[in-house]
Amino acid sequence: MTSTRKALLALLTILALVAAACGSSADTATEGTDEAETEESSEGTDGGESDVRAAFVMVAPVGDAGWNFQHDLGRQGAEAATGAETAFVENIPEGGAEFDEAVQNFIDDGFNVIFATSFGYQDATLRFAEENPDVTFEHISGFLMNDTNMGNTFGRMYQPRYIAGMAAGAATESNTIGYVAAFPIPEVIRGINAFALGVQAVNPDAVVEVNWTSTWFGIPEETAAAQALIDSGADVLSMHQDSTATGQAISEAGGTFIGYHSDMSAQVDAYLTAPVWNWTPRYSEIIEAVEAGTYTPEAWWGGMVDGVVDIEVPESSPVASEMQDVKDSILQGEFDVFDQGQVIAQDGTVIIDDGIIQTELTNPFDPDAVVASEGDEIHDGVLLNMNFFVDNVVGEIG
Amino acid sequence: MFGYRLARRDKPLPGGQFLAFAIGLAVALVAGAILLVATGFNPIEIYIEMADSAFGGSQAISNTLTQAVPLGLAGLAVAVAGSMGLWNIGAEGQIIAGAIAGTWIARLGPDLPGPLLIVIMLVAAVVGGGLLALGPAIAKAHLGVNEIITTLMLNEIALRLVRYLVNGPWQDPTAIGFPVAPVLPEQAALPTLFSRANVGVIIAAIVLVIFGVFASRSKWGFELRVAGSSAQAAEYVGISLRAKIMTVLILSGAIAGLAGGIRLTSSDRIVEGIAEGWGFAGIIVAALALMRPSGVALVAIAFGALRVGGTAIQTQGVSDSISEIIQALVLMGALAAAVFTAYEITRSGSGTGVPTGAESISGSAEASAEATP
Repeated sequence: MTSTRKALLALLTILALVAAACGSSADTATEGTDEAETEESSEGTDGGESDVRAAFVMVAPVGDAGWNFQHDLGRQGAEAATGAETAFVENIPEGGAEFDEAVQNFIDDGFNVIFATSFGYQDATLRFAEENPDVTFEHISGFLMNDTNMGNTFGRMYQPRYIAGMAAGAATESNTIGYVAAFPIPEVIRGINAFALGVQAVNPDAVVEVNWTSTWFGIPEETAAAQALIDSGADVLSMHQDSTATGQAISEAGGTFIGYHSDMSAQVDAYLTAPVWNWTPRYSEIIEAVEAGTYTPEAWWGGMVDGVVDIEVPESSPVASEMQDVKDSILQGEFDVFDQGQVIAQDGTVIIDDGIIQTELTNPFDPDAVVASEGDEIHDGVLLNMNFFVDNVVGEIG
Repeated sequence: MFGYRLARRDKPLPGGQFLAFAIGLAVALVAGAILLVATGFNPIEIYIEMADSAFGGSQAISNTLTQAVPLGLAGLAVAVAGSMGLWNIGAEGQIIAGAIAGTWIARLGPDLPGPLLIVIMLVAAVVGGGLLALGPAIAKAHLGVNEIITTLMLNEIALRLVRYLVNGPWQDPTAIGFPVAPVLPEQAALPTLFSRANVGVIIAAIVLVIFGVFASRSKWGFELRVAGSSAQAAEYVGISLRAKIMTVLILSGAIAGLAGGIRLTSSDRIVEGIAEGWGFAGIIVAALALMRPSGVALVAIAFGALRVGGTAIQTQGVSDSISEIIQALVLMGALAAAVFTAYEITRSGSGTGVPTGAESISGSAEASAEATP
């Protein structure tokens, strides 16, 4: 009993000391920030720099050559392009208290644009947007927004994936291309189909074999899935994952790797090319719009023409000129992967014919909700709810 | 020079607890300062920022308390079991189970009025957490199966269950395929007290005070400690060990379940990461509180402040890794202090001969054997 009391007393004393230290420190800290702000604003008037201060919240460490790494490059690029001050926090879990703390700290420190770069941040981001009408919020990869100060941004990754599929189709000798996929959700399925259509365009005999990992970032799972595909004859692998494990596996097997997210040539020997994210133009655009007072929230789904997604055409590929042609026609808005020719499902059903829907399509998570009916023109809803594999894909959804 | 060993102090260090904690904290802060200087930061400014973000103003305090609620309840769950010498390593899973049970209620009665819905959700969370501990409790009480293994492995089961639910039957049809459940009804959110702190703070405070008093003052708490220190003694004075093990482990799970219920009613919806590691952090909280329920609340507030400070300094440019190392250093400093208030270093052996590697290894093995509770 006495020792308990003493322990409590000791802890209380420490807390009291800490609290006392804070009491006096609070003033110092505020002074510090004030000085810093004054310095910045004077710099601002001299150098004509942006008065936007943009903060980024990332779900994992930024040094991972994947999703978060590209967002951090986008942050640095936007800072260089706009002159706006930026800052970031990493490893902030989705749906938790830490997100709230980090965002509130940024707002209190005077940041007026918040980029929330992971899907699971979107509820909290909308809540903050309602509470802080003077701050602009942009959420990446979700669907929530409001009319005043929160929009969402994502990219048409399926466009460069089609071109990546062309490179894969030309590179395979076994006519089996493996694809290590994360979760059977429309975004991933759409990417696989676009990739497979690209394969088909240059090599009608090749198939794309899919292996699911049920993780976004799981080196053992990705390695095992890649190895299984190699064992079943694949000599080219691509993936929808956050690590380079698939690339390591196919490098050891002496095959070809089509990456994702970023240029992985430094990390992976077998690297040929990759569909990549490039957030700099979009982040710069938002920061400039806020600066000019013209920011309007939108559900922004940018494509290669906007620069948010891209792919480098490898000169070594035998179909390099065909890939460049497709790239050019996508950039000129003449081609959008699913809107031309026949898109045929695994069971032989023609789903889309020259951009016209041939069969009723529903929301995969709500079968009563019709997304498109026979005779409709293709629209983004069809892409966002995609729940079938095209006919040169081997594997099942789920 | 010679072998050293840890020996339990005959009497607690007089006035030494404060000294030990102060030294532990100071050592940790100095080590952290070296890291900060090495990475180009002024450690004084960073430490001031940490303290300010955790205690400087009502918003800072609300952030600290919001962290302290799940930390305190998870810590209490571990400490209640720990005061009887049982290890509940499953608080993480029990938090998930509580959140699952709460979500299930919200799905059954989405139109119930707020106060009623919240109360039923929290009760369900308590039951859910308790249910997940039921298996380990029966296995321990009747078959003698080690509860560390069973509670630990049930964490995985709970995690897989919530993963299945948000990827399958509970998946939000509007979430374009992302693995999340639909948002909870608006009235299922705990009312706000001030800034970000909600009524969960009051609920947790009441539970912590009740258990703190109950565990140290009641016959029940006394029996727990007796059973914890000697099973034979307990049976000799007529304490039913089986009944005690059952109630304590289920109670422990139920408290962790409540933490899950409070986190759920403080969130927009259930997600796979709803437990956020609170359950494992609860083990540290309980260890720092020396397994005494009465000490959990203060430790939880201090730990919560540390976590809030750790996030805040990231916004100053300190990397997440450095921030986590500093937090770990402080916790290690405090844990070392907790050890040295109960144990002292003494020389072992008479000091003849030249020390050999073998001697010092045996010395440290002895020390760890002694230090194991």
